[in-house]
This record gives sequence, structure tokens and C-alpha cells, in this order.
Amino acid sequence: MDNKGPVQKTVVLEPFIKLVRLLARAFYDDYTTKSDNQPRTARSDNRGIAVVVLDELTRKQWVREEDLAKELKLHAKQLRKIIRHFEEQNLIMRDHRKETAKGAKMYSVAVAATTGGRAEDKVKFHTHSYCCLNYPQIYDIVRYKLHRMKKKLKDELEDRNTVQEYGCPNCQRKYNALDALRLISMEDDAFHCENCNSELVVECNKLTSEEVADGDDNARKRRREKLRDMLQKMEVQIKPLMDQINRVKDLPVPDFGSLIAWEARAAIAARENGELNPNDPLRSQGGYGSTPMPFLGETKVEVNLGEGKEDVKSNGGDSSLKVLPPWMIKQGMNLTEEQRGEMRQEAKVDVGSSKLSDDKKSAMEGGDEKDLLKDEYFKAYYAALIQQQQELAQKQREEETGGEVGAPDNELASTSPNRQVGMKSKREEEEDVEWEEEAPPVAVGGNGNYKVDLNVEAEASGGEEEEEEDIDWEEG
Amino acid sequence: MFFHIVLERNMQLHPRFFGRNLRENLVSKLMKDVEGTCSGRHGFVVAITGIESVGKGLIRDGTAFVTFPVKYQCVVFRPFKGEILEAVVTLVNKMGFFAEAGPVQIFVSKHLIPDDMEFQAGDMPNYTTSDGSVKIQKECEVRLKIIGTRVDATEIFCVGTIKDDFLGVINDPAAAA
Ligand SMILES: [Zn+2]
Repeated sequence: MDNKGPVQKTVVLEPFIKLVRLLARAFYDDYTTKSDNQPRTARSDNRGIAVVVLDELTRKQWVREEDLAKELKLHAKQLRKIIRHFEEQNLIMRDHRKETAKGAKMYSVAVAATTGGRAEDKVKFHTHSYCCLNYPQIYDIVRYKLHRMKKKLKDELEDRNTVQEYGCPNCQRKYNALDALRLISMEDDAFHCENCNSELVVECNKLTSEEVADGDDNARKRRREKLRDMLQKMEVQIKPLMDQINRVKDLPVPDFGSLIAWEARAAIAARENGELNPNDPLRSQGGYGSTPMPFLGETKVEVNLGEGKEDVKSNGGDSSLKVLPPWMIKQGMNLTEEQRGEMRQEAKVDVGSSKLSDDKKSAMEGGDEKDLLKDEYFKAYYAALIQQQQELAQKQREEETGGEVGAPDNELASTSPNRQVGMKSKREEEEDVEWEEEAPPVAVGGNGNYKVDLNVEAEASGGEEEEEEDIDWEEG
Repeated sequence: MFFHIVLERNMQLHPRFFGRNLRENLVSKLMKDVEGTCSGRHGFVVAITGIESVGKGLIRDGTAFVTFPVKYQCVVFRPFKGEILEAVVTLVNKMGFFAEAGPVQIFVSKHLIPDDMEFQAGDMPNYTTSDGSVKIQKECEVRLKIIGTRVDATEIFCVGTIKDDFLGVINDPAAAA
């Protein structure tokens, strides 16, 4: 369990690049630098341009915006507008500096060392802007965007958590339910405009504002159907993005750092592993303190706590109910099969690491093997525990059959080897009654609750007296 | 939500209250001044539970009043978004209904009342289900969830919903009678 020391993770850029590409297509497909009121001719229609820019940026690290414009055959101004938009969205980091010969040189070296490309050599020495995808933020941004979209639709659909708005039909002034106290009129208990005292009406400036849902049930129903439709469509459309998000969830995030830091690292790397190919993004970093790779940011030590547990949950626990660990299940608990881990128990015990699902495999990228090992350990442990308890129950039953005539043979036969703890203990309730006959001083109240624990204890000491003692203790 | 917190206040006291009862006078004045008030930041001061400290008095220039900084413990009530409250209905109209939970006023707009409840105008305006089994009217007790608060310097107003599981009428004195 405590095998979690500092874990060095390999930073893999690939899944994040895919994330950016999906993000670009999902949210910025329609982005255009033209404002809406300008006439849109076929020539000036540049929708999709944002996708092109983001795609290009995934192939670079820090890049001089002027060079980028040249490569994309875009007007520098146009590009700057797009970049600024993404900067506002926190997808892109930017840096501006007054170019010097030295700075330009540093940049060229860094570009050559990282992406194998070539920077423009002849640059004018005025202020230049650089930009870079902000990978550390992108994961959160995508999740936040998706969350907001879903929440908006859901809230709207259920009309929940929306503060009702009111409008004045006379002077168009807007109010909402939080103003209610001020709006209420003592004369007719209705809401009145503070301005002109006319009676307010319920506003409906929702997503589907075409219909005025002023208490009209039909309109409301139509609106709801439309929303539900939208929500469903959205779920389908963002599925690839969601999948990618889940894939990168536990991966270490690539971080190029600031422009200066990036150049500095690249320079060191270029000097030290001159003849090595430094472009291989899959090359893993050495131990702590070795040369940091220029394109991966500072070496980070991550203490990977409890991630394995999360994995178990997300991989198997698709139902909302958590599977209770076997030692937690007590007699009399009203549990579903899922909670007992009934369905998954076999799978858990039988499936070796060779039969991992794809999800798990992808989760393995970046050194989750330890988590898996841990899982395996747990599985083995629980299997052993269950077996132990079953053996014990068997033993008990045998003892009983020795002492009593009418022992439930049928039930014994039905004891399959992979019986669950919860089920077994239910049976033992009957046995308990018999026990009570044998040993009169037994408190009936709630001794069933200790059943599972008792088994374990009895196993440890291996005696029947022990069991009785325990029961006495319960009584006291 | 209720909180037990320590607040501070500068109390001005006229010299006629000085003497061996000075402290008691200060405390009773503090209670009169503070209990039942509302500050946007801390919520409603429900009750003072103790005095932490009374600082040195400072004579105000030009008046005979003396200012004492007093630190006191008190219970405050501050409603939050998402909080579940039980409240008494105070007014019902076609826009929804108002309710009170202690010092807090809450408005539940019509669209946050379950769809199957219709507004019935009349002497005793109310919202009733079609089968008449559930009725919201004045003096009813409802359980509601706060979905928004408006916090001013001296006032807190909430909007709530009863359109969710386990929310709605919990006790109707009129029906019981
Ligand atoms: Zn008006």
C-alpha cells in the first residue's frame, strides 16, 4: 500500500494534441474574425480559420507570431486577432519582447532543438510577440466549458435554479425574483413596476425565446422538448471530446514554461545532447536531477496519492452505488448486488493483468503500473478474505452437524465456493438461533451485526469458546 | 446556516450609565443594539452568547460619551444558495409565494412550484394540486431550497424552489384543524 514514493512520469504530448484538435473542432469551428454585421461573402468567409491556427500550434511549442502568420499565409493582423481571442480564453500563453540579436538567436536555437524546424533568421529588431498552447490549462478549460454547457441546458430543461425574471410591459424595465419584496404591491398582491407602476409580466428570455411561455403549458412543453433534443444532440456531439478528456485525466500535463525558460532549457539541452535527437517526444526523462528535456518543462516530481483507487472506481463502478469492500458488509444491510460487488467479484479475482481493458491500458501510460499492482494486490487480498470466511463457515457448520441431528444438509450443498459475505451472513442468522439454544446466555439484540467480524476472530483463535466469549461481551 | 462567531463593536455609553453596573449596562445596550440586526456579511445576529472582552473606554471629544470596543460571541444566521430551509408561508399570489424562516424572507416564484399545482385566487389564495391533496396557503409550513440570495449591507433576501424531491408542504395547520 505504501509503495507510493515520488513517481517520475513520462510526459506524453500526443493525447493533449488530440484534445486540442478536438476542442478546436468542437468549439471554434464557427469562429470568424469578421463581425456579424459585416456582409459575408464567400471570399471573406474565414470560418474554420481558428481550427487551422490551433492545429498549427499543436505542431509547435513557442512560436513567433510573425513566423506563424507567414507559414499559414495569414495576415499578421488577422492572426493576432485570433490569437488574442484564444489568449482571452486562456488556451494560449503569450509573451512580447523587444527583439535583440541574442534573443533571436536563442529562439532559433530553441526551435531547432525542439521541433526541428527553422526560425526566420532575418528579423527586425522591434517588439515581437510569441505564443504557445497553454497545455496546463486546457484540460480544465475544456471540462469547464462542457460543464457549463450541460448545466445551462439541464437547468433550463428542469427550470431549476433559475431566478424568474419579470418585465414591465410599459417601460421594458427588467426585474427578477430577488426584487420580489420591493415589487409587491399591498393593493392587489401583484408585482408592479417601480418606475411606472404597471403590472409586471413573467419574462422568458431563455434559449428558446421564440415562444413566450407565459403560463402557456403547450409552449412550455414544446420548449422542453426542444431543450431535451438539444441536450441529447450535444451529448452525442461532444462524446469524442469527453472520451479524450477522460483519457488525459490522469496523464501528466506537458508544460513548456515561459518563453525565456523554454529557450534557456532548449539551449542547455542542445549543448549537452548535441548529437542526440532531441526531438523524440516519447523519450522519457531521466531521474530527478538529470537534464530536463527542453520541451517538457521543469522536471516535476509528482506524488501520486490515491490515484489508483480512483481508477478502480472509474473503470468498474459505472453505477452510482459504490461497491462496498467485503469487510464492510454486515448482516442485515440492505444492499444491492452491485454494492456487494457481486457481479464484479469474479472478474476482479480472475482477470489478470493480461486481460486489461483498453481503458486501463491507456491509463497505464505514464506509470500507472503501480496502481495496477495495487489493484491486483487488493483483489488477491479480498479473494483470500472471502475464502477464509467461507472455510470458517463451513467448519462451523460441520461442527453443528456433529452436534445436532437435523442439520441443514441441503443448505450445505448449496454453499458454492464463490458465495458472498453478505449472503452467507444472512444464512447464519438461522444458525444463530440454534446457537442460542445451545448457549442460553446470549443477548439477542443486534448480535447479528457482528457476525462477519466474529468469524474472523474465531478463525484467528480457532475455538468455539472464543466465539461464546465474544457473545458474552456483546451482551455486556 | 448558523454560525457561532466573535464580532466586535464600538459601544458609546453616556456617563450616567457608569458606576459599578457599567459592564451590565454595556452588555444590555449591546444586546438591544445588535440582536435582530442583519449585516450582509455575517447574516442575522440571532443572539449574543457571551462577552469576550471590553476594551479601554475612550472619551469622545466634545461630548461626554465614552467609546468602548466590545468583543462578543454571537450566533448568526446566514442563508446560503443550495441550503434547505423550513419556512412559514406568509403571502400567496399568482406570481408565487413568500415565506419566512426566522428573520429571512424567501420568495418562491410560480415556475419553481411543481407544475401540477395551480393557483387559486380568492379570500385565501393558494396553490393546489388537481386532486386537492396538497395545498399551499398562508401559514403553511414548507420545506424549500434556496437558489439565490441577494445580500445587501443590511438585508438578505432569498429566492427558493420547492420543485425538487422532498421539498414542499410539510405541515398545513389549516388542513389539520
Ligand atoms: Zn414600468
